[in-house]
Parts: sequence; structure tokens; C-alpha cells
Amino acid sequence: MTDHVARLYAATAALAAFFLAWAGIAARPWVPHQQDPRAAAIGRLEQRLQRDATLVQQVVDARNATYRAALARSRAAAAAPAPAPPVRVVTLPPLTTTRTS
Amino acid sequence: MLRRRFRAMGTEIELLLDALPSATAMHGLARAEREFARLERLLSRFDPGSELSLLNERGTMTAGPELLEVTALAVAARERTRGRFDPTVHDALVAAGYDRSFEHLPSDAGRPAVLAGPCGGGVRIDGAVSTIQLDPGVHLDLGGIGKGYAADRAAALLAVAGPALVDAGGDMALHGRPWQVGVETPGGTLTLELGSGGLATSGRDRRRWARAGREQHHLIDPVTGRPAESDILRVTVAAASAVDAEVHAKALFLAGAAGALREANALALPAVIVCADGRTLVSEVIG
Repeated sequence: MTDHVARLYAATAALAAFFLAWAGIAARPWVPHQQDPRAAAIGRLEQRLQRDATLVQQVVDARNATYRAALARSRAAAAAPAPAPPVRVVTLPPLTTTRTS
Repeated sequence: MLRRRFRAMGTEIELLLDALPSATAMHGLARAEREFARLERLLSRFDPGSELSLLNERGTMTAGPELLEVTALAVAARERTRGRFDPTVHDALVAAGYDRSFEHLPSDAGRPAVLAGPCGGGVRIDGAVSTIQLDPGVHLDLGGIGKGYAADRAAALLAVAGPALVDAGGDMALHGRPWQVGVETPGGTLTLELGSGGLATSGRDRRRWARAGREQHHLIDPVTGRPAESDILRVTVAAASAVDAEVHAKALFLAGAAGALREANALALPAVIVCADGRTLVSEVIG
């Protein structure tokens, strides 16, 4: 190996070492890590939305259960209608008169 | 007796509340009136923005609880009456000329003759995901049963303020005391007394119009897809609710006088049948 080639290897190694050192210093590892306040706000908002979604889902589930119970009652009534109320003819004047709907 | 009259669902609505004037009574009357307006916005086939119109336009949709419930009641009634009550008569009504709110129907001049409309199409309800699906070309009319449903709902709202009667243009819901209701017959007014339940009258003596010189009415026979030809002028039926009464009244009308009386007696239905020839038939169960 000639001196000329050795100098070329040394210069390349020095350049690589310089850039590594520069990257290490630029990263400023001695400064404590600080979270972006906007990211923190988004995180809080996400948590609040998840809580709200859970509450809304609980309300929807409760209403859905109530509605399904009512629908089941209606279907049962439709399938086997309740008996008609007793009706009799009277001589009293009517309070109102039915007509074709 | 407190009374309130207003128009909704294309007819005159009357609320009767057997109570003294009070804040509770007035609030109940106002709530019942608002309920009619709310249900009309959902169930009218004449309002292009109603939930029913959207269903008829799209064929399939996720429906709200009221449309889902009324459609389920109508489909169950179709099965129970073996197709005589049918919510899929929409196109037959339109073909007969009843294509807009009754008070806006034009005169007969220049309108073409009546065509038959298809009836009996498929309606599928999936309660698990709240969807209604209509077969292609099927459209629903929930006019009559919708009025009965609204009357039942309004009566339930009024009942907290006292005994109540809701008359939705012939579909009545009654609650809380014996109510005397007149039924017009050729021989004069017959007064019936009944407590909680429903009463409905169906017939061809009102909601009539003319097409190509022939008189039409709104009671479609699903077999022919045309206004029904019946020897009954009108039939009044009492049942457990206004919805049930409405369904039975239409089914009995289509059965004809003899069939209607036979069916009313078999089902123990209180019914008054006024025939076109002037006879009045009363079912056995009416005391």
C-alpha cells in the first residue's frame, strides 16, 4: 500500500467520523425530550372522544333494548290481537260520531 | 269536557279529554297535537321529505322506530287478513287517481281512465339492524294504519290527563271511561258505548273522486288492484286498538256484507255494517 492510498483511506475515515459526530451532537441527547403540545392536546381529545363514544353507545344500547321490547310486544299483539272491548247499544246522545276514515 | 280540533294527516282530528281545564290537561292536548304532526312528517306518502317517501324512493333503508313499527304492524295485518289489508296498495291508489293529498285532487276533466295497480309485493323487515327492504317496484301506503297508530299514540299521551278519546277522521282511540259514539245508519244514528280500545269506520261514502266519468274510492282490492266493488257502503268495527279496528274495518269491507257479518261473528268483533241497499247489519257480540 502506497502512502497515497493510505492517506485516501485516512481522509475517508476522518470524514465519516466527522459526520457521525455531527449527527450525534445535532440530536442533542443531553436536552430532555419534550412532547409537542399539539400532539398532547390531540391525545387528550382522543381520550375524551373515546369516553363520550362509550357513553353514547350505552345510551343507544339502552334505547335499542327498549325499542326492541316494544316492537316484540307489537308483533305479539299483531300476531294474536287482543280481544275487542265490550260494546253495547245505548240510548244516550253520542259525544261524537264516527265517519268513514 | 275539553275538545280540540285541528287538521293533520289529511283529515280532521278531534281530541276529547274528560278533565277540567288545567295545565296538565292543556299540556296533554298540546302534546297529542304535536304527536300527530310528528307522525305525519314520518308517515305521509304525500310529503316528499317524509321517511316513508324516502323508503318508497330508495326501496331499502334503515328506518326509525315508528316507521319500522307501523310497517311491521301493516305486514302482520296483511298476513292475518290473508292479504285483504295490504300496505302495498300505493301504486294501485295512484293508478286510481289518488296521487296527491285528497283535498288537492283535481276534477275529473281530462284525466285518463283508471288502470289496475300491482299489489302484494314483498316487504322485508330486519329488526336486528332496523332496515326495511321493498321488492323492486313496491311502494307502501300507510295512510289508514298510520292514522290509527297516531290515534293510539295520542290517546296514550292524553290518558295521563284523564279519560280521552282521539278521533282521527274515523279512526278512534278511546281510554279511561265508557264513551258514547254515534254510528250513522239509514235508520238514524246508532249510539255505541265502549271503554278503552279502538273504533274505525271504512267505507266508500267519503274520499271519493271521479276518473273518466266513473266514481272511484280509496279502498283498494289487492286482488284486482282497483277500488273494491262491495255491497257494503261502510263498516264500523271496535277492537283492542285503533290500529286493529282500522285493519278489521278494511278487511270486512272487502269481504262483502254476508262475509263481513260471518267473519265479525266468528271473531267476536263488534261491527255495524251499513249495506248499499240500505240494510244495517249488527254483529252478535254487540249487546
